[in-house]
Amino acid sequence: MFKKIDLKNKTALVTGAGKGLGKACAIALAEAGAKVIIISRTLSDLIKVEKLIKKTKGSCLKFECDITDTGKFKNILKKIKRLDILVNNAGNNRPEHFTQVKKENMEYLVELNMKAAFNVAQMCAQKMVRLKSRKKIGGSIINMSSQLGRVGAPIRSVYNMTKFGVEGLTRGMALELGKYNIRVNSMCPTFVETPMVKKFFKNKKFKQQVLENIPLGRVAQEDDVSTAVAFLAADSSSSITGTSFMIDGGWTAK
Amino acid sequence: MVKFLKDINLKNKTALITGATKGIGRSTAIAMHEVGASIIAVGRNTKDLYSLQKKLKNRIKCIECDVNDYEKISKIIKNLKRIDVLVNNAGTNLPEPFLKVKKSSLETLLNINTIATFNIAKLCTDKMLKLKNRKKFGGSIIHTSSMFGLVAGPNRTVYSMTKFGLEGLTKGMAVDLAKSNIRVNSVCPTFVATPRAKKYLANKDFNKYVLNNIPLGRIATESDVATAITYLASDAASMITGTNIIIDGGWTAK
Repeated sequence: MFKKIDLKNKTALVTGAGKGLGKACAIALAEAGAKVIIISRTLSDLIKVEKLIKKTKGSCLKFECDITDTGKFKNILKKIKRLDILVNNAGNNRPEHFTQVKKENMEYLVELNMKAAFNVAQMCAQKMVRLKSRKKIGGSIINMSSQLGRVGAPIRSVYNMTKFGVEGLTRGMALELGKYNIRVNSMCPTFVETPMVKKFFKNKKFKQQVLENIPLGRVAQEDDVSTAVAFLAADSSSSITGTSFMIDGGWTAK
Repeated sequence: MVKFLKDINLKNKTALITGATKGIGRSTAIAMHEVGASIIAVGRNTKDLYSLQKKLKNRIKCIECDVNDYEKISKIIKNLKRIDVLVNNAGTNLPEPFLKVKKSSLETLLNINTIATFNIAKLCTDKMLKLKNRKKFGGSIIHTSSMFGLVAGPNRTVYSMTKFGLEGLTKGMAVDLAKSNIRVNSVCPTFVATPRAKKYLANKDFNKYVLNNIPLGRIATESDVATAITYLASDAASMITGTNIIIDGGWTAK
């Protein structure tokens, strides 16, 4: 009755896989049995992640690529045989007060969090639907969103704009890809103890504000998110599409 | 070795499940039992309870009780040794057009879906808090809600009223109980192949209306819902509270 998280015979591509959540997701998917394709701008990070994946006895292919480089990403997809799962994870944040947001920061975040996320999703979906037996085997796309894709927060107007956008993209894609049995969901974590967030938390006042907003009184760990991603990637969740997984300790329940 | 995939198991946990004789409740009892939980199954039908007992053999205690019977259920819960997980599942539906809703139907649905559900949540929480190390050990409450707790459907005004209410209860409880590390979430399935839904879906027009509204083109299985509930019950979901898992094949994404 219980559908175990099992990704044997599945190939998963993870963007932003060099660090933080992407790295955690890549390893978790490998632990569940998937063959993993890891993408990052930084080769040295990829080499480290590859080693960790090999330790799980998983198999992995690595490609150095900035996902805003659509042509290069397309070439990578040509080199791989098939794709069943996409973790559309690469993204960034540059917190600034709305009235002070620099034009170049706004453009950078829109370019990466929205435009590149869209392009990667589209290219991967095109690849996924090409498999004859896709409808039978199914596919799963997980867009990395955030609790800030659902609620606002100070100095995050641009991040909010891009992540609310990812929420919309998730729903639209789910409707159109349902007929191929490709499910599309988003992951909305609260602050997670990643390298990026650890930097924000050096500001004690900020850390206190964050914890006051999480009823469970703690931030998320990388494995909280990577486990949920593996659940959504697997047939364990075969009727779940067009939704968001909130992993926020109750932040948005208030 | 670094691990990023948390195991979904309920070893050393006791789960109380209401409405455990049929459908989602019964399947959830079986799924949770598979991953190690001790089950306390509450239901009205002795024969069905006996069949579940026979199927699971060990780690199962069956209690015959109508959840509307406050005196009886409160005595039963008070006499239990411990509860770590509550699957607050008993509920029903009496579809009628708004203008034709009978006073008796309204009262039946409010009594079971709202009042009994609230009472059981409260009684079980009291019991859960009796454990000295609850904060360390954690606890999890899962409400069986519905996609009709998020959107409306024809002939379902009362059902939607009760299930929207349940979504509110879920969030309120999550905020109040977080400090005790008791997580509270709901599952919101679309139509599931349960004995009750099968009756509705025997009507060809209704069947067509349902499938036309599900982008994935199929209804959910009991196993889909039982798996999601089991995930929420386990420590693999330890940062998930005050939210819902929507198992609707994309119905509410539209």
